[in-house]
Amino acid sequence: MSAMDRRSFFKIVATTGAAAAAGGCGPSAEKLIPYVVPPDNIVPGIPAYFATVCRECPSGCGVLAKNRDGRVVKLEGNPEHPTNTGTLCVRAHAGLQGLYHPDRFRGPLSGGKPVSWDEAEKQLADKLGALAQGRQGGRIAVVSGLETGSLGRLMDEWVRLVGARPRIAYEPLGYEPLRAASRVAFGRDAIPDYAIGDSTYLVSFGADFLETWLNSVGYTGDFSRMHAFFQGKQGTFVAVEPRLSLTAANADEWLRNAPGTEGLLALAMLKVILDEGLQAAGADANTLRAAIRSADIDAAATASGVPAESIKRIARELAKAKGGLVVGGGIATAGSTATDALVAVNLLNAAIGAVGPRVRFGPASPFSRVSPYSDMTALTQAMAGGQIEVLVLVDVNPVYAMPPKSGFAEALGKVPLVVALAGRPSETTARAHLVLPILHSLESWGDYMAEDGVLGLMQPTMGPVQIEGKAVQARATGDVLLSAGRKALGLEEGKGPLRWASFQDFLRDEWQKVARDYGSNAPFADFWDAALRRGGVWRTPTTPAVSIRPEAGRIQPGAPKLEGDGSHVLVVYPSSRFYDGRGGDRPWLQEIPDGMTQVAWDSWAEIPTETAQKMGLRRGDLVKLTSPHGSIEVPAYPTDLIHPGAVAVAMGLGHKYPGGFASQGIHATGTVSQPNYLNGGANPIELLSGAPDPASGGLPHLSVKVTLAATGGRRPLAVPQATFNQDDREIAQWVGLGPARELELRGKAPEHASHPTMYPPVKYPEYRWGMSVDVDRCTGCQACILACQTENNVPTVGKAQAAYGRIQHWLRVERWQEGTAAKPVNMFLPMFCQHCEVAPCEPVCPVYAAYHTREGLNGQVYNRCVGTRYCGNNCPYHVRKFNWFNYTWAAPLDQQLNPDVTVRQLGVMEKCTMCVQRTVAAKDAAREVGRMVKDGDMQTACQQTCPTQAITFGNLKDGGALVSKLSASPRGYHVLEELGTTPAVTYLKKVVRAEPAGGHGKGGH
Amino acid sequence: MTTASVLGVFAHVDTTVQAIRDLRAQGFSDLTVYTPVPVEEIEHEVEKVRPLSAVRLFTLVGALTGTATGFFLTIWSSLKWELVTGGKAPVSIPPFVIIAFELTILLGGLASALAILVLGRLPKLTPSPTYDPRFSVDRFGVAVACPPEKVESVQSVLSAAGAEEVRR
Amino acid sequence: MSAPPAHSATAPAQVTWADVNRDVIRTVGMPGDRYFAWMCLVALTLACGVAAWAWQIYVGIGAAGKRTPQMWAMYITTFVFWIGIGHAGTLISAVLYLFRARWRTSIYRGAEAMTVFAVMTAGLFPLIHAGRMWFAYWLMPYPNQRYLWPNFKSPLVWDVFAISTYLTISVVFFIVGLVPDIAALRDNSTGIKRKIYAVLSLGWEGSDQQWRHYRRGYGLLAALATPLVLSVHSVVSFDFAMALVPGWHSTLFAPFFVDGAIFSGFAMVLVLILPMRYFFNWYPYITDRHLDAMAKLTLVTSLVLTYFYVCEVFVAWYSGDHFERASVFAKATKEYAWAYWGMYFCNCLVPLVLLSRRARVNSVVLYVVSIFVLIGMWLERFNIIVPGLGHDFYPYTWGTYYPTITDSTIIVGSFAWFFILFLGFIRVMPSLSIVEVKEVLPHPLKHGAHGAHH
Repeated sequence: MSAMDRRSFFKIVATTGAAAAAGGCGPSAEKLIPYVVPPDNIVPGIPAYFATVCRECPSGCGVLAKNRDGRVVKLEGNPEHPTNTGTLCVRAHAGLQGLYHPDRFRGPLSGGKPVSWDEAEKQLADKLGALAQGRQGGRIAVVSGLETGSLGRLMDEWVRLVGARPRIAYEPLGYEPLRAASRVAFGRDAIPDYAIGDSTYLVSFGADFLETWLNSVGYTGDFSRMHAFFQGKQGTFVAVEPRLSLTAANADEWLRNAPGTEGLLALAMLKVILDEGLQAAGADANTLRAAIRSADIDAAATASGVPAESIKRIARELAKAKGGLVVGGGIATAGSTATDALVAVNLLNAAIGAVGPRVRFGPASPFSRVSPYSDMTALTQAMAGGQIEVLVLVDVNPVYAMPPKSGFAEALGKVPLVVALAGRPSETTARAHLVLPILHSLESWGDYMAEDGVLGLMQPTMGPVQIEGKAVQARATGDVLLSAGRKALGLEEGKGPLRWASFQDFLRDEWQKVARDYGSNAPFADFWDAALRRGGVWRTPTTPAVSIRPEAGRIQPGAPKLEGDGSHVLVVYPSSRFYDGRGGDRPWLQEIPDGMTQVAWDSWAEIPTETAQKMGLRRGDLVKLTSPHGSIEVPAYPTDLIHPGAVAVAMGLGHKYPGGFASQGIHATGTVSQPNYLNGGANPIELLSGAPDPASGGLPHLSVKVTLAATGGRRPLAVPQATFNQDDREIAQWVGLGPARELELRGKAPEHASHPTMYPPVKYPEYRWGMSVDVDRCTGCQACILACQTENNVPTVGKAQAAYGRIQHWLRVERWQEGTAAKPVNMFLPMFCQHCEVAPCEPVCPVYAAYHTREGLNGQVYNRCVGTRYCGNNCPYHVRKFNWFNYTWAAPLDQQLNPDVTVRQLGVMEKCTMCVQRTVAAKDAAREVGRMVKDGDMQTACQQTCPTQAITFGNLKDGGALVSKLSASPRGYHVLEELGTTPAVTYLKKVVRAEPAGGHGKGGH
Repeated sequence: MTTASVLGVFAHVDTTVQAIRDLRAQGFSDLTVYTPVPVEEIEHEVEKVRPLSAVRLFTLVGALTGTATGFFLTIWSSLKWELVTGGKAPVSIPPFVIIAFELTILLGGLASALAILVLGRLPKLTPSPTYDPRFSVDRFGVAVACPPEKVESVQSVLSAAGAEEVRR
Repeated sequence: MSAPPAHSATAPAQVTWADVNRDVIRTVGMPGDRYFAWMCLVALTLACGVAAWAWQIYVGIGAAGKRTPQMWAMYITTFVFWIGIGHAGTLISAVLYLFRARWRTSIYRGAEAMTVFAVMTAGLFPLIHAGRMWFAYWLMPYPNQRYLWPNFKSPLVWDVFAISTYLTISVVFFIVGLVPDIAALRDNSTGIKRKIYAVLSLGWEGSDQQWRHYRRGYGLLAALATPLVLSVHSVVSFDFAMALVPGWHSTLFAPFFVDGAIFSGFAMVLVLILPMRYFFNWYPYITDRHLDAMAKLTLVTSLVLTYFYVCEVFVAWYSGDHFERASVFAKATKEYAWAYWGMYFCNCLVPLVLLSRRARVNSVVLYVVSIFVLIGMWLERFNIIVPGLGHDFYPYTWGTYYPTITDSTIIVGSFAWFFILFLGFIRVMPSLSIVEVKEVLPHPLKHGAHGAHH
C-alpha cells in the first residue's frame, strides 16, 4: 500500500458520504459489505492494524489500532516501540471509549449553541486578528497539554506569529520537583531516565512507578525484569510510602513512613553509607558530606516512624548491592520538602554510583518539557487582572484539575473569549464561549516524542466517528490553528508562514527534517512509509555525563509545611485508572475495581483502622474531609495499610461533566439509569490550596491536614472482592526465595494431586490449549481486565449491579494479603475460567451448552444456553458470568464491539473463552500454509497486553511451547487443586524474600 | 334365540353371595354382579370360575418397554455428538440408569391404567339396562341373562336368596 | 377452629353407607359466600404473582435477587419445598395402601389432590427460574433435525424425567381412584351436571367385570408408585448431591430429602384436612384416630430429620474438610443464622409437642405445629441453597443474597396458585373417597353378628 493511497482514503472517509460506508459507523454499517471497490488495506472481515501513539497520558506509548471494516475495535501495544514494547496499561485500552464517547461534540458550539465551522473560526479569527493587528498579542494565551512533537512546534510558531504569550504545556501531573531536584543536583533542567530494569536493589521513596509515575508501563516491564524470579535470582525492591500503594504492595519490604519524611530518610541512609564508607568510588564525597552534616538517623527514625535499624540495614544493602537504584517523587509525596528530598535521592544515587549507569539524562523523560504549574497560576492572575482577552485551551481541563482556590475557574469569567479545543465535554468546555471539536488522537495525524530519540508517528486509524449516522464535525487541532491563524493574520495558503494546507502537510515537512536528522538516505517516501508501519523512528540517544553540584549540599529537608490544624495529613494520589482525572468519563475504567481496595465506581477515603473505630466508621459510611481550603464528602474505607496519621483519597473522580451520557448511563433494558453516572465520587484536589510550591513551581499535593467528621450518611461501595483473606484455601500461593532456588535446582514439576476416576482419560487429537500465570510477575495493574473486556464485548453493568455481585468481567485480578498489617505480603492473582479437564460446570448443564472441546477448552454455547445457572453454582472459582439483564452499549460505544465475538443476550451464561476467536484465526492462518499452529503464532488479549508477561498461552501438547515449560515449573500449582478439577491453567507461586508471619498459602511444600 | 335378563336387588352381602351360589348351582353362569364397593366375599365367589385378571401382563410389558426405551434413548442420543462433559465418556451408564428407571415406572403405570380401561371395557358409552343408581350407594345387584322360558325359575331363586326386589 | 360438635364422638361404625354418599356429595356443588370471598383473595394474590413473573420475563431474571454466588435462591428453594409437599399424597395412597393401613381411606383423596396440585405448582418453578424460560422445552427430549438432545448426565434432566413421571403417575392414580366416586355423583345428580359426571365416570357401574380389573390395576399402580415416591425426591436431592458445593456434595442427601418431604407433606395434609373436617363436618370420618396416626408419622419423620441434621454437622466436623466446616460455621453464625436456628426450632423442637397424646388429637395444636413444620421445611431448603452457596469454596465471591419484591411476590403467588386449584377441586369432586370409606365400614349382613343395617 502507499501512504498517498491511504491518505486519500481517509480524506474520503472524513468528508464524503461514500466514506460513511467506508468509515463504517452508525446505521450505514449494514451497507458496509460488500464494497464495490474496497479501499486498499480495508478488506471486509480482515482487520488492518495501524501504528500510532497512545495519548492517554504523556508517556507516549506506541499502539497498534485494530481496524475492522473501518472502525477501530481494539488497541494493542506496538511491539517495536521502545517505550512500551508491545504492552499497554488499562488507561490506554480505555482510549477507545474516549474515541466512541456518546457525549462527543457533534460540531462547534458558540455560547452553547451549535454553529458552523466557518462561523466559529470567524469568531476566533476576528478576535485574534484585532488583537494581532493592534499589537495586543500579549492578551492572547494558549494552554495545551504536553505536545512534544510537530503539533507543539506548530502551536509555538502560531503563538509567535500572533504574538501571544508563550504557550503553556500544562500537565496536572507535572513532576516539577523531579526537575527542580535535577537542576539543583546536576544543573540539568530535565527528568532523567531511571534504568529500573538494570537495577538489582531498588528503593522507592513514594514513586508509584507501577501505576502512574512517568512512563509507568515501561517501568512495570522493567520492574519485572529486575524483580521477577528468574534462574534462581530475584532483585530486591524496598518501598518507602505512607500508604501501601499498588507499587508498594509489590515490594519485598514496605517502610511505612510519616508523610513528607522521605528526605529525612534519604539523608539518613546517605549518612549511614558515608559513615560506614560504603560509597561508590568516585562519588563526590565533599558535597555528600556537606549534605548530611545536619542528618541524624535517630531523629529521622522518630520523625518518620521507620525503625533506625531498618534505615541502616536498607542503606547497607543498597550500597553493597551491585546495581542499587533509588527513585522518588511520586505525586502523593509532592510537598514543600519534595525538592530537597529528591535532591537527597539524587545524592544517594550518586553515593552508590547509580548516576550514569542507571540514572541517565539521555534519554530524558518527556515530562521534562512540561510547563510548571506556577505558569498556570501566573496566567490565572493575568486573567483575573483582565490582561487576557483570548484564552485558547487545547485539550486540557484545568477547571477540574486545578484547585478551586487557585481561582482559575473564576478568572475564566474575566476573559472575553475562552476557546476550548476538545473532543468531549468537560468542566472546562462547559465554561468556554467557543468550543471547537477536535479529532481524537486515533483519528488524526501527528507525532510524539516519548523520550529523546524515540519519535512516534501518529496516523488516522479510522475516519471520524459517526453518531446517528453522521460523522462528528471535528477537525485536527493543527488544521484549526492553521486556518484560524491565516484568517486572523490575513495570510494565504501556500506561501509565507502557516502556508500548509493541512497539519498533515506540515507534519510531512517536519518529517523531512526528521529523515535528515535520523540520517536516512532512503527516499523520503520510503522513509515515511517505513515510519508509518513501524509507528515512528527511534535511536539510542547519547548519555551525557553529569556530576553533583556543590549546591546539592545545601539542602534542608525538614518536616513538610502542612496547612490546617486537622487531625490527619491528606495524601492525594493519582489513580492508576483515571490518572489525573482525564479517564473519568470512561465507564470501563470506572467499573474496573481499584487494584488495592477493589473499589469500583466511586471514590473512597482510606482511613486508618484505629481512627475509623474511634469514629465508629464502617466501610461505606460517608465522612466529611475538611481542609482550610474546602471539604469533600466521600465513603470511608478503613484500612490497616496506611500511616495512622494520614488519610488518602485518589484523584480522578468527582467530575461535573455536562453531557447526557455522563449524567445518566443506562446499562440494560428495564433497569433504571444510574444517577450522576460518570460524575460520582469526589475530587480531593478541592481540598488543596492553589499556591505553587516555591521550590519547584509544582502543585503541592501533600500540603494540608484535614479534619474527619462522620456525616451519618451512607453510600455503600461496590467492592467485588468479599475478603482479602484467603482463609487457608491456598488460592494464591508463595514460596520462600531459598526453597524456590532448591526447587529450581531440582527442577522437576510438583506432582499434582491424583484423583481416581471411573472414566477413560480425555483425548486431544491436535491441540490442548492451556495457560500459565506467574503470580510472582503479576503486579495487579489490571490492564488484562480491560484488554479482555475490549476484545470480548464484555458489558459494563453500573455501580448498583457491580456492588451486587453482578460485575461481568471475564477476568478479575484478585488481591490476597498475608502476613501482618505492618509487614503485609500481597499477591495478585488473575482469575478467569480455568478450562478444567474435569469441569464441574459441564456435566450439570442439561442442554450441553457447556461442554469440553476437542482442544481442551471449556466451551460455552451461548445460543444453546437456557439459563439454569447450575454451572455458575458448580464452578468452584465462580468465573462464570450470567447475563442478568439485556446489557446495552450507548451509541456510538457499540461501534467498538468486536465483530468476531458474539454479543451475549439476556439470560445466558458467559465466561472466558481463552480468546477462541483468535485461536480459530490462528488455525486458519496456519492451515493456509499447511502447518499446525506454532507457539507464538497467537496471543490471548490478556497475555498480549500484560506489561510483565505474567500470562502465557499456548498448546500444552507441544512440549517445546513456553506454556508447557512453565506449566511444568517447580513453582506450578493449580488453584483449589484438591477438588480434582484439573484446570488447564497453571499458576506459578510468588517468590517471597521474607516469609509472611503465620504464613498460609504455601501449598505444595 | 333371544335372552331375557332378570335383576335381583339385594341389601346385604351375605344374601347376594347366597344368590350367586344358588344361581350357579342351578346352572345359571351368565351373571353380572353390581356392588357399590369391592367386597371380598362376592369377589371370591365370582372369581372362582374365572382366570386371573390380565392387567399384570400389561404392566409387565409396559415396564420392560420403559427400561429398554430409557437405555436406548440415552445411549443413542449421546452417540449423536459424542460430547465430553466433565471428563465423562459420552456413553456413561450410571447416570442413564436413572432415566431408565423413571421410564420403567412411567410406561408401566400407564400400561396398567390402559389395562383397566381395555379389560374393564371402559369407557362404557351406553348404560346397561339392568343398572340401578342404588348400586352406587348401598345396594347390590345380581343380573342374570337367561332364555325367556327360564325367567320364572331365576326370579324364584333370587327371591329365595333374599332379594329386596326382583324385576325383569 | 372450635371444638367439634358433640355427635362427632360417634364412631364411624354407626355411619351407614347411605350416610357416606350423602355427607360427601353434599360438599360438592354451589358453595357459599365465604368460599367466594376466599377465592377472590386467592385469585388476587395469584394475579400479583403472574404480574411479577411477567415483569421478570420482560426485564430479565435480574429482577429476582440472584447474584454471584447465589445463582440459585428462593425459586429453587420453593421448588424443592413444593415437590416435598407433593410427597405425602402418593405415599398415603400407595405405600399405606400396600400396607393395608385402613385409616388412610378417609384422608387419601385430599392428600392425592394436594400431591397433584403441589407438583403442578413445583413444576412452574424451573420455568420461572430459567434465564430464558422460552427455551425451557430444550430440556425435554424431542426429535429435531439437528439431533440436539438433552444431556442425560445432568441432574436437571433427571429431574425433568422424575418429576414428569411422578406427576403423570400421581394423576393417573388420582383419576383411577375418582372414577367410582364420580359414578356415585352422577347417580345423585340431574341435568347437565349428570351428563358431565356421566362422561367423567366413564360409564362406571361397579359391575364385577369392572371391579376385578380395577382392583388388580390399582394394586399394581400402587406397587409402581411406591418406589417412585422414594425415587423422585432422591433425584431432586441429586441436584445438590451431584454438585461440588460444600454442604451439597453428600451421600446423605437422598434419604434426608425423602424424609423431609414426607415430613412436610404430612404437615400440609393436616393443614388441608383439618379445615375440611371442620367446614364439611366430617368428624365421623376423620376421627381422632386419624389425627393421632398422622401426628405420629409427623413426629417420627421429625425425629429422623433431627438425626440427619446432627449427622450433617457431625460429618462436617469429623471429615476435617476445611470447606465443609467453614460452610456449616457460616450457616450457623453469619448473616443467615436466623434461618438456620429457625429451621432447628420449627423442625426439631416444635414437633416434640406431639409426644403427648392430648396434643396429637387436638386439632388446634396439630394445626399450629403443622404450620411451623411447613415454615421450617422451607427454611431447610433455603439454608441448603442460599447460605450454602454464599460461603462456598471461593472467598473472593462470598456474598449475601437479598430477596426482591419481584421474586417474593412470585413465591407468594405460587401458594395462591396451589390453593386456587385445591379450593376449586373440593367443590366439584368428592374430596373424601366414597368407595374406600364405605369399604372400611362394616359391610351390611343379614345374618351377621352385628346387624348394622336396619
